[in-house]
Amino acid sequence: MRPFTYASASTVEEALAGAGADSAYLAGGTTLVDLMKLEVMSPAAVLNIDTLPLRDIRHDHTGLHVGALARMSDVAAHRLVTARYPVISQALLHSASPQLRNMASIGGNVLQRTRCGYFRDPATACNKRTPGSGCAAITGYNRAHAVLGTSESCVATHPSDLAVALVALDASVLLRDRAGERAVRLADFYLLPGDTPHLENRLRPGELLAGVTVPPLSWARRSTYVKVRDRRPYEFALTSVAAAVDLRGDTIADVRLAAGGVGTKPWRLPAVEDALRSRPLRADTVKAAVTHAADDATPLSHNGFKPELLRRTIVRALLTLAGRP
Amino acid sequence: MTNSPIGSTLNRVDGPDKVTGAARYAGDESPTGLVHGHLVLATIGNGTIRSMDTGAARDHTGVLEIYTPDNPLPLHGVPPGVAFYFSETRRPLSDHEVRYHGQIVGLVIAETPEQARDAAALITVDYERRPANASFRDNVDDAVVPEPTPLPMGLPITILADGVPSIDAALAASPVTVTATYTHPARHHNALEPHAAVATWDGDRLTIHSTTQAPAAHAIELAQAFAVPADHVHVVNPHVGGGFGGKAFTWGPTYLAAAAARRLGRPVKVVPTREQLHTTTGHRSAAHQTVTLGSSADGTLNAIRHLSVTQAIGEDPGTRLTMKAYATENLHVSLRVTTGLNVPTTTILRAPGEETGSFAIECAMDELAIELGLDPIELRTRNHLTHTLSPDPATRLPYSNKHLIECYRLGARRFGWDTRNPAPRSTLATGGWLVGTGMAGAVLNASRAFTAVRVSFRPDGTAAVATSTADLGTGMRTVLAIMGTDSLGIPVDRIRPLIGDSRLPVGPDAVYGAQGSAATATVAPVVRDAAADAVEELINHAVTEPRSPLHGRDGVRYTAGDLTDGATTIGFGDLLTTTGGTDVGATTTSGPVTPPSYAFASHAAHFCEVRVHRLTGEIRVSRMTTVVDAGTIVNEKTARNQIVGGVVWGIGPALFESAHVEPDTGRIANANFADYLVPVNADVPDVDVVFLDHPDTNFSPLGARGLGELGTVGSAAAVANAVHHATGIRVRDLPITPEKLLTTPTGQA
Repeated sequence: MRPFTYASASTVEEALAGAGADSAYLAGGTTLVDLMKLEVMSPAAVLNIDTLPLRDIRHDHTGLHVGALARMSDVAAHRLVTARYPVISQALLHSASPQLRNMASIGGNVLQRTRCGYFRDPATACNKRTPGSGCAAITGYNRAHAVLGTSESCVATHPSDLAVALVALDASVLLRDRAGERAVRLADFYLLPGDTPHLENRLRPGELLAGVTVPPLSWARRSTYVKVRDRRPYEFALTSVAAAVDLRGDTIADVRLAAGGVGTKPWRLPAVEDALRSRPLRADTVKAAVTHAADDATPLSHNGFKPELLRRTIVRALLTLAGRP
Repeated sequence: MTNSPIGSTLNRVDGPDKVTGAARYAGDESPTGLVHGHLVLATIGNGTIRSMDTGAARDHTGVLEIYTPDNPLPLHGVPPGVAFYFSETRRPLSDHEVRYHGQIVGLVIAETPEQARDAAALITVDYERRPANASFRDNVDDAVVPEPTPLPMGLPITILADGVPSIDAALAASPVTVTATYTHPARHHNALEPHAAVATWDGDRLTIHSTTQAPAAHAIELAQAFAVPADHVHVVNPHVGGGFGGKAFTWGPTYLAAAAARRLGRPVKVVPTREQLHTTTGHRSAAHQTVTLGSSADGTLNAIRHLSVTQAIGEDPGTRLTMKAYATENLHVSLRVTTGLNVPTTTILRAPGEETGSFAIECAMDELAIELGLDPIELRTRNHLTHTLSPDPATRLPYSNKHLIECYRLGARRFGWDTRNPAPRSTLATGGWLVGTGMAGAVLNASRAFTAVRVSFRPDGTAAVATSTADLGTGMRTVLAIMGTDSLGIPVDRIRPLIGDSRLPVGPDAVYGAQGSAATATVAPVVRDAAADAVEELINHAVTEPRSPLHGRDGVRYTAGDLTDGATTIGFGDLLTTTGGTDVGATTTSGPVTPPSYAFASHAAHFCEVRVHRLTGEIRVSRMTTVVDAGTIVNEKTARNQIVGGVVWGIGPALFESAHVEPDTGRIANANFADYLVPVNADVPDVDVVFLDHPDTNFSPLGARGLGELGTVGSAAAVANAVHHATGIRVRDLPITPEKLLTTPTGQA
């Protein structure tokens, strides 16, 4: 860990004023401290924002509003969330461990860095960590890596489960800087790696992620998050699927699907959604609809199973919503 | 008289210390003047160090010294012996060659651990790189017959019935054969406590707080490295946070801590990081095993051929397991080892050979049972082994007190085996989970060594029970407390177990520690002998000490902490307070009867139920029952803990554990606890453990055989057999991960 200065902000204004070119905001610390110890991140200044008043969880006619500093555990257990957006609650409860969820913030979760082992080991080549140094994952051990949205520069997945649920629900993040606040759809907020994998999102230097807004979606009450992994808890997804269905009788009136563990960012599946609308929610229609779910996939040496596993995970999520997994 | 607590469920006597943090581990020690070392590891898999730039690190605040191959620390070589074959023989920093990724290439010493770590990150190394040869699988075909060693491992063994010319002929003549290849990746001990060492020299005398399974052996290895007499090295390790074989021998970080302390004249602490432990303190070899079973149509085994390839003889499945598994007229086991792999050093790991071997044999038996249409228990029962297998029939010994068939039957009843539909993929539960059940047998050689125990009485009314072994979390302190109470008739809270110190009594070979599942079997019987001798000394003290109220009396006897001649009775605490005696007792050495007229082994049967999702292939172990035949159980609670832990050590390799070694670099891609998966609580069901109670008094008067590693033997096979039953898919390449189950038995997605 490199030496750094440390300060605490007590208001949002103070935080924005205190942020510099080489500073990092500290919330729950569950990612930043880790990466600083590994010398993957070495900010000159760390600004603690954890006590800022950004912890509210509320619901109104414009949707669900979650402050960036709300804890994962609080959001997962909140009655508004469990009742109206079970997919969010489930995605959170399938993340990390209880201890981490008690510390980690929603904003930090959405902004967390990839778990690619090469990104986390400064002795190896990683374009995301050190632009231009190469990508050791492409020729290395890459079972957990992405098959969608990859480039020759980077194949790292975005690790957040929550973000997969939020992308399925068309959520936005609220970004604040000294000029004011703007809302950006989460699906647009994340960037594909291209040849600049070190640029992961549209957050500007010094800008603060203040909260998340999930627009109203009454039928999100019928939603679920299926996460496939080797170990039962405490592991990042091999594949995951966030699904919500607007079911009219047996027919899918509308549907939302997004996938994790497969893409360099949370991966919305519009083609599968289109193939499902107005169809009956049955095993055969679902299986037909997922046929082309991963047509653009570029498997690596150890993750060739991911397209098939993704298709199966979608089927399982949808059949779970039909009550027939 | 206090009732004997043998077989009870006494809580660990050191439990409160552990849960309150009062227990001191090696790394907790911080003697005055302490400085800290941080290792620098190679970041290439094969090559030569041209130069190292240590300038920036040298200038870092607090840095005292940087040791590298250009500024090495003197260490004498490893003499031939067990450690020579099971640990790293090349001394750290002794040359400029890099043989594997993660090899130690430097040690930074600084005033604080943070300074040492930060400075270490500033060191750059210029390498002449060569291609690394790190794929075990790519080297299997080129593996060679190992050089003979004095150890009973690595040697081919062939047993043939009269008139049978070869094992191949025996297999060819068998009406039914199954043959299959089973593969294991390399794996790591990953004890929770890292290999911490805090070394302090006083002239040519070393005191080292160091985590080890065998304090006396550790002292000898260190003494050899520094060319000082063995009694000049004092190893202290009151608590050890898990060993699993990884702390049976001394590793580079510990040698360097001691060497740097000697050179600097200050105490040095070295605690490798979790990532560093993966390459600097040994690991379990990968294994490639091909098993062929030949049987008659009724399931009687006629021939077993077990061909293994591993990285070193420390992992020898054939001689360690197959020789003790099933009756057969014809048997051949052999081992070949890979050479020149650019991977870290292997060593023993929990049930070395038995664990890998049991996976192959117990899966092969399941495959044969299916081939024959026989119940897996019935097949095993028909091939029950009653005598040791040996090329020379005259040396075959009967197994003492073997109750494996009872393990099968009791386990089957508790588990509900008899209601099982044997057809694979026959049960689908709510949520889309396929349900399957499997079983496996287990055998673990029961050994017992000579060791010394001192039992002594103290004026405060306590009795010390002391021996130079270690408690790895296994419950040795509690075993000593129980045996002390059993032998002396005083309550457990008046027994003071003393372990974890090289200066405590040791056996004649001076190396005995907590390994080979033999610590309890070795130590516990000796406590009784030492207690009897100690009581004799106490009585002698009572009748010969002038100040003793029993001075000169006849017929003095000891009962439950009191001495009496019928007229006068005095507790030993009061006696010693009166006489001024401080530590009256005896040191006694004893061990097994030789030559033995029996063979000794502990046995078990595992039953496992798994759920496999029909769509996505996740595997969840939902039930386990394990029935154990290990003779007398000294403490049911710690014994159960050992068996449950062993079963978890079977679930791990079955479903999760694997070092992901990059073939081209030798780098271990998952050298951390996030990516090297071990089972967590939610992956382990409540394990139903039952102990049979058949004291093996041929083994020792106490009748307690070892069981520490027994849970690990066979349990992975029970899981794999259950996965096959659930899905119809036989996975022979561990770990069994979801992607291996994304087909149907016919191979269709």
